[in-house]
Amino acid sequence: MTEVMAIIRMDMISKTKEALLKANFPALSCMKVLGRGKKKVDFSLIENMLSGNDFTSPTIAEAFSEGHRLIPKRLLSIVVKDDEVKNLVDVIIAINQKGSPGDGKIFVMPVIETIRVRTGESGELAL
Amino acid sequence: MLMIRAIIRPDKVGIVLSELSDGGFPAVTKMDVMGRGKQKGVKVGDVFYDEIPKEMLMMVVNDEDKDDVVKIIIKNAKTGQKAAFGDGKIFISPVLEAYTISSGDNQL
Repeated sequence: MTEVMAIIRMDMISKTKEALLKANFPALSCMKVLGRGKKKVDFSLIENMLSGNDFTSPTIAEAFSEGHRLIPKRLLSIVVKDDEVKNLVDVIIAINQKGSPGDGKIFVMPVIETIRVRTGESGELAL
Repeated sequence: MLMIRAIIRPDKVGIVLSELSDGGFPAVTKMDVMGRGKQKGVKVGDVFYDEIPKEMLMMVVNDEDKDDVVKIIIKNAKTGQKAAFGDGKIFISPVLEAYTISSGDNQL
């Protein structure tokens, strides 16, 4: 068993869920997280936006854009059988890939055991 | 590759994040969590709190960077010289693969 953890854009969650359902991966857990990646965010865009308004001083824009900002993201966690991993990763990449930094990351991790609480059955039977 | 999950005090998040960034590990995901440890929570007066708010930092790094990251987190998330209960835990687990969605690359 393998856990696929994907961190994706906030607004892509419904499209991703739809695509996963179509690809026969209905089960998933997701949560709202904050994060940052390897690349520094280009806050000059925000500064440009703000400088268009007369009431915002550049110092505010500076304070706003400085430091280690975290960006809201969605984290999906899906546990699947080993032979389904490739397919699942492809589905997530296909729907989320816009080609710009910030599209997200996918991590594939081993899972040692799965247990269904309702029946107590374990292993792949419980997936 | 290894996934490092650190559960730390909420008030230490700022310093840990900036030190990680300065240390060359900017990529991190943060989430709010509630939990308790071996001490079964905290007792303040007559009130017993068994779910204490914490922040979980999650990052995936190459094997050789693990020690550096752990060192940075421990150094900055500690409260004082006499380490106090509730400073947190760090868990490390293996990651088989990592993909970058924007490029589809199979690497960190």
